[in-house]
Order: sequence, then C-alpha cells, then structure tokens
Amino acid sequence: MITPPEISWLAIAPDLALTLGAALVLLVDVQWKPVARVHAWVSGVTVAVAAGLTVAQWIQAAPADALAFSGLITMDGFAIFTRLVLIAATALGLAAGWRFVAGLGRRGAEAIALVLLATSGFSLMVASNNLVMMFMGLEVGSIALYVVAGLARERRESEEAAIKYFLLGSFASAIFIYGVALIYAGTGQFEIVGIRDLLAGFVVSSPAVIYIGVGLVVVGLAFKVSAAPFHAWAPDVYQGAPAGLVGYMATVAKVAGFAAIARILLTGVLDLSGSWLPVVAGISVVSMLLGSVLALVQGDVRRLLAYSGVSHAGFIMTGVVGGATDAVLFYLAIYAIQLIGAFAVVAVVAGPDAAGSSIDQYRGLGRRSPLLAGAFTVILLGMGGLPVTSGFVAKFGVFTGAWAEGYEWLVIVAVVATVVALAFYIRVIVVMYMDEAQEEGTLRIGPERWVLVLAVAATILWGIFPASLLDLAADALPI
Amino acid sequence: MLTALVLLPVVAAIVVMLVPGGRREVHLPLGIALSIFPLALAGYLFWVFEPAAGFQYVDRVTWYEPWGIDWHLGVDGISLPMVVLTTLLVPIALAASTSIDRRIKEFVVYTLFLEAGLIGAFLSLDLFLFFVFFEAMLIPMYFIIGIWGSERRIYAAMKFLIYTAFGSALMLAAIIGLALTHVDQTGSASFALSDLAALDLSVGAERLFFAAFAIAFAIKVPLFPFHTWLPDAHVEAPTAGSVLLAAVLLKLGTYGLLRFNMALFPEASVDAIPIMAILAVIGIIYGAVVAIVQPDLKKLVAYSSVSHLGFIVLGTFALTSGGLQGAVIQNVNHGLTTGALFLLVGMIYDRRHTKKIADFGGLQKTVPLLAGFFLFMTFASIGLPGLNGFIGEFLVLMGSFPALPSLTVIAALGVVLAAIYLLWAYERVFTGVPDKDENKALSDLSAREIALLAPLAALIVVIGIYPGLLLDKITPSTEAVIDHVVEQTDFVVPEPGRIADVHVAGDEG
Repeated sequence: MITPPEISWLAIAPDLALTLGAALVLLVDVQWKPVARVHAWVSGVTVAVAAGLTVAQWIQAAPADALAFSGLITMDGFAIFTRLVLIAATALGLAAGWRFVAGLGRRGAEAIALVLLATSGFSLMVASNNLVMMFMGLEVGSIALYVVAGLARERRESEEAAIKYFLLGSFASAIFIYGVALIYAGTGQFEIVGIRDLLAGFVVSSPAVIYIGVGLVVVGLAFKVSAAPFHAWAPDVYQGAPAGLVGYMATVAKVAGFAAIARILLTGVLDLSGSWLPVVAGISVVSMLLGSVLALVQGDVRRLLAYSGVSHAGFIMTGVVGGATDAVLFYLAIYAIQLIGAFAVVAVVAGPDAAGSSIDQYRGLGRRSPLLAGAFTVILLGMGGLPVTSGFVAKFGVFTGAWAEGYEWLVIVAVVATVVALAFYIRVIVVMYMDEAQEEGTLRIGPERWVLVLAVAATILWGIFPASLLDLAADALPI
Repeated sequence: MLTALVLLPVVAAIVVMLVPGGRREVHLPLGIALSIFPLALAGYLFWVFEPAAGFQYVDRVTWYEPWGIDWHLGVDGISLPMVVLTTLLVPIALAASTSIDRRIKEFVVYTLFLEAGLIGAFLSLDLFLFFVFFEAMLIPMYFIIGIWGSERRIYAAMKFLIYTAFGSALMLAAIIGLALTHVDQTGSASFALSDLAALDLSVGAERLFFAAFAIAFAIKVPLFPFHTWLPDAHVEAPTAGSVLLAAVLLKLGTYGLLRFNMALFPEASVDAIPIMAILAVIGIIYGAVVAIVQPDLKKLVAYSSVSHLGFIVLGTFALTSGGLQGAVIQNVNHGLTTGALFLLVGMIYDRRHTKKIADFGGLQKTVPLLAGFFLFMTFASIGLPGLNGFIGEFLVLMGSFPALPSLTVIAALGVVLAAIYLLWAYERVFTGVPDKDENKALSDLSAREIALLAPLAALIVVIGIYPGLLLDKITPSTEAVIDHVVEQTDFVVPEPGRIADVHVAGDEG
C-alpha cells in the first residue's frame, strides 16, 4: 500500500504564492484588461506575500521538521536564505524591467507571469532535497526564462538570444538529468541527505558511476551559472534579451544554480570531495581568468557584464571549494543586488528594450547624468571588490574559505584575477568620467531609480557594516 | 580622538558634496577651511603625544566578531609624523589648485577622501582595516590623476592603479594566510597587528608572507625595479596630486615596510636585509642618474623621489638606531621638500605652460622669489647642513655604515649625484640671461603662493636646526622595532648601531 506523503504547506508556501500570483496576473488581465498599474500592484503583493511566508519559514524552521513531503523538500536555513535572495531579486528585477514590461502593452501580463513562475521554479529548486525535484524546479525556472529572453520578439537579437538560451539550456538540463540518473544508478538514492548517509555509512562498490554522475550534474549546473568553459551562451543572451529583465534572468539562474551546486556537493557527496574538489577548483580557475581577460576586450557593456559574470562564477566557486556555504550565500546575495543594479543602469542608458549597449553610449555619462553615473560607479567598484564595498567583504569571505581548505594557490590566482577584473570595471568608469559625451540630452529614468538606490545602499552599507547579513548567512546552514 | 581624525575629512567631503554644484567659487575655499580641522587635531595630537608610551589613544571597537576584525586605531612615534605631514599637506595641496578650472567640487571631495584613507592607513593597527584604507584610497587618487591630469592621464592613472592593486592583491592573500594561521594556533580569529606578530611561523611561510607584503610596499615606495609607474603618474598628475603622491602616498610603502614587515616577519626581514639594501642602493643610484638626463622638470623631481626613497629603505633595513631614525625623519623630510618642489614646478607650469627644462633660462631675473624658494628647496633636498635633508641623510648613512659599509659608501654617492641633477637643473632653468621672450614677462610669486611655501620652508629650517623636536617623538618607537627584531631572532645589531642613552628597553651593556 502506498502511504501518501504528509503535507507541510509552509514548506512550499512561498512557491505556491508565486505560482498563484502568476495565475492571478493572467486571470486579471484576461478578465478586466487593466492598466499596467494594476499588474504592478498584483505582482507587488505577490512578491511581498512570498517574502512574508519565507520569513515565516525562517521563524518556524527547526531542525526536526526541516524535511517535508517525505524528504522531497527541505526548510533549512540555506533554502530560506536563498529563497529570500531570489524573491528580492524578483522584486528588484521587476522594478528594473518595469518600463519594458509596461511597454509590452497587452503582453505585459505574460512577462510578469513568466517572471513570477521562473522565481517559483528556482525557489523550489533551492529548497529541494531530491534530485528529481531539483530538476523539476530547474526546468520550470529555465523554461520561463527562455521565453523571457525572447519577449522583445520584434528584435532579431532577442529571438536569437531566446533560441540560443533554449538550445544550450536544454542541453545543460539534459546533462544534469543524465547525471542524476547515474547517481541514482550508483547509490539507489535521489535524496541528497540519503546520498550523504549512504556514502558515510557504506563503501560503494562502483564509485565510477557516481563520479561520472556528479561530474555531469556539476557540468549541467555550471552551464546555468555560466562558469567557464560552459559560458558560451551568456554574452549573446545578455546582449540580446530585453535590457530591463536581463539582470533578473542572470541573477536568479546564478543564485539557484550555485545553491544547487553547493547543496549537492557540500551536503550530498562531501565524502567524495577528494574527487570533485580538483575539478571544481579547475572550473573556478578557468572561469576567473577567462572571464576577467575576455571582459577586458569587450566593446559592449552587456557582454562585459556577461564575462564579468563568468569571472564571478569562478570567484563563487572558490567559496564552494572552501566549503564555506555562508560565504557563498553572502556573495550570492551581494552579487544579485549589484548585477540587477548594473543592468538597471544599462536599461536606462540603452532604453528598456534595446539590444546591445555599446560602451560609446556611456561616454561622458558623468556629465550628462551624474547621479546615474555615480550609482554605476559604486556598483562597478563593488563588483570589482574594492574595500569599503560589500563586494570586498564577499570576496574576502570566499577567499578565506578556500585558503582554510588548503587551496592557497587558488586564492593567489583569484586575487590576481581580481586585479584584472578591476581593470575592466575601471575602464567603464574611465569612459563615463574622462571622455566627453557623444550624445546629449538627459536620460529618462523610471522605477529603475529605486533599484539603484537599493543597490548602492547594499554595496556601501553592507561594505562598512557587513555583520547583519553575514550573521544571517552564517545561520543559514544546510541540513 | 583618532577616530575623529579619520572621520573629519570624510565629514568635510560630505559637507562639500552637499554644497550645490552651481556655486563654483565656494567649494575650494570651503574644502581648504574644512581641512584645517584635521590639521589642528593632528597638531594637538603631536603636542600631547607621549614618546615613551608606545601605541596610544587606541580606539578599538569590534567590527565583525566571528572574523576577528576590529576598528583598531593607535598612534606611535612612527605614524605620528606621517599623520601630521598628511594633514599639513592636504590644505596646501588644495590651496595650490586654483588653476583647476573644471569639476572643482569633485576634486575637493576626492582629495578629502584621499586624506581620510591616508590617515586611516597610517593609524590602523588591524591588518584588515589597514588593507581597507590602503586599497580604498586608490580610487580617489585614480580619479585625481585621471580627470585632472595632462595628456596621457588615463594611461598613467590606469598604470598606477594596476600596479598598486596587483601588489595589494598579493598582500591580501598573505593577510588571509596570517589570519588563518592565527586561527590554527590559537583557535580564535584576529587581524590585530600585535596578535599576528606573536604567531609562530615556519621559515618558509614567513618568507612567502614577507615577500607578499614587501612587494606590495615596494611597488608603493617605489623600490627599483617596481618604480616604472611613478614617473608616469607624477608627470601626468595635477600639482596637488603630485604633491600628495610624492609626499604622503609613497610613504605608505616605507611606513608599511617598517611597521608591518619588521613587526610580523622579523626573521625574514633579517634574512632579506641584503636583498632590500641592494635594491635600495640600486634605486638611489639609478634614480639619480636617470634624473640627471631628464629633459622635463617634473620628471626630474619624480626620479629624484626614487633616489631619495632608496635612502629610506636602506635606513630601514640597516636595522640600527640611526638607520631607523633617519628613515622616519627622512619620510617627513622628503614629504616637505619634494612636496614643495612639486608645488614650485606647478607654479612654473601655471606661468609658462611647459615643464621642459630647455624652454627656460634666466628665470631668476624675472621671478627672483620663485627662484629663491626653488634654490632653498634644492638645498634642502641635497642635504645642506642646517636644513632637514642633512639630518635625515646623515642619520641614514651613519646608521647604515656599521651594518652595510660598502653599500653605504655607494649610497653616499647618491648625495653627490643629487647635487648634480638638482643644481644643474637650477642652473639651466634659473641662471643666465633670459633669452626667450616668454620668460621675460613672468610674474613673481603671489602672496598666496608664498603663504603655501612658507610653512614648508619654516619646517625645513626648524627640523634642520632642532631635529630633537621630531627625534624625541620618534626614537622610542624605532628602538622598540629593533628590540622586537632582536628578541624574535638571533640578529645582533652591529656596533656601534644602537644609541645607548635613548635605548629605553634597558640595555645591559
């Protein structure tokens, strides 16, 4: 007889709220054809409810009931923290992309619904303790994002971005699920905690299958987080997708991807770390160096941010190598806010649905629009990891973790890559402040301004007083 | 009090930022006026400083407990003169910037942030905090060179940034390594200088960490062969940028070697004496020889910095009483004289819009006061007895001789070469008959410009005649550095390397 799993509504409440919110947006749109402001309210309330429910989870969560739905879902601090980052990214992403969404007219509701669905998928992914569950979350999120990439379908680049993202993304998902199958073949387990207990308790007779499985899972997720050498899609997608929403797309995929990597590697197969540590360290080195060096020669700010994203993936990997989940979480939270902020600037400068964002458009931005340029400067310096910004604290955390694990050489490569990375962030700043403007006229800035205010505040305040967020991240332990 | 000293320039910068951009004529005077407050506080600090009390006025507040990071400031005889020098030169550098005609508000703001970073770096007793200040000040300096510099400013600014950031990146790795070693050995995290200095490092680890710190500071000094960014940065920077760069920013390198390398890695420091001393002496001679042939007045002064800073490093790594005293006092001297020389070059440039030595000649007929000040600073830089440069170079050479006799003899050549390049430059620029029409109608120094140079000249004379004013404050701290090295290693200070009567730690001999 099959016993039905016990239901723990709280464990999936935020994801449910997001899904229902997405449905509500579509229904309201069909029924009343309202103005964009109504959609803003509905989606805003949805995000707020989801955030509230996640906070309720944080208050409620105790180790004993961390697992729900017969072990499919966990409610550990790690899931809750990442979920909060995802939901915050959704709110900021919608604000940054609002002018694009509103400009879509009747299709605006679709865009909002897709964003909310993507978040609900990724939110389920970071909370899953089961590899199949994780795959489902990943697919819900990814498929929604493929469509988002093609929303500006009048433009060829947007279609190209959507197709590229779809093809390479589904390929990556297939690799991931193949890896899951092999892990199951090797361990007879889908549950991450179960795999951990199995590896701790038994000697596995055919570890090669597990090794290959873990390797494929890592490769699949490395695609999603655009770590080198699996990053080829990122520049084209970042360049072609609608400017307002790229920041959101890049952020949630990266946050969820890294959460999954950290959960599988650091919880599931930590006992096999001897075999995967060198691989992850290798991916980290290649990402940091390749991303930083290729970003140096980009003439388009969006491609530059894409390659910088590759190097950031490498930096976050150093934290994974160090096994420092708190440092990884802190880094992800900070990077999420900064990345969305950076793309909010791109959306203002290039226009909300434009393709590309040539660096020439930024010439003399410091004169044309001092506040915008100032905000971008702070965000770029934060991404570069200069002290007094939260980016420095984040880098310091992951580097310390890697050094403590005996990966001193990785830290040395990482600090050198940081200097290279600094050079290309500075290059944008040089263009903004030290060149004369080519275009005149003031830029129109909409709700993006709130995103920028928050991104700057997060960069500086958490740079000087990092304790609040660091403590939170330190409490957000995986099961 | 020290926290206030760091935060005053920040507050000043914010005040200037809040003044609307339309009021162009307000920003610079406001900035100058506000930068007097840190100067006054630093002057008071100098007055109440107790030489024998070690680190004092310590402010220590926990910043982030789990990582062991503190807001930890303190002042001793090595950092005190640097802080006073910084606060003195910022108002002067700002007041020398009246020729800046665009974006003056940003300029004042960046300069004040730079001041805060510099003071913070000199006062930090926590390595994390030090690194934050050390790295954060790159950005204002980068903007000062990159926005207000001359033609190749962006190249120079980038070169400056990349060089320095590369050095400090390695230092960051070493700081992480040290802190984690502290966790291993004591179970708790700490970045405090005193805690990390007490660590028991293996020889290999100590040497690697020493190298990481030393490269970071050697780039900053700059020590040969890491000096190539300096002439570019100096030549392209605006006058105020050059003054602060030469007078204070470079001193972070020499200060860092003395404060951090000696304290954290005494064993490796002793082992590294030959390398550092040889590099220093190469720098002295190389900088001087290259300075002789420079066709550009500003570049000449820049290379003279390479030469003069070599003396400071030589004195530091001689590890004798005289050497260290000389190093610290020469930090101050070089700040005063080279700062003044850069001011003078800036004043000449404002009048003639050229820095080429060949474009001048006979200027002392048309601008006698300017020529007089230039000659005075030249003498101070050469080390004429009675002026401050003599005290510093004499102490360095005297202190280094027992430890490194042959290198000291070569280094002494640098003094002679300094006389050649500076006096020859003076001769070509100021003496003779003014044969070019542009040079005949120049106006002499204004009252404002005299007011900028006079305090520097006065201090040069005061230190030259009564060095005890500074030495009394410096000596107990430099002796403490030597004591620390002697305690931690089997290093023996060569006779007669110690000054018995000021040796506070109870010399049994």
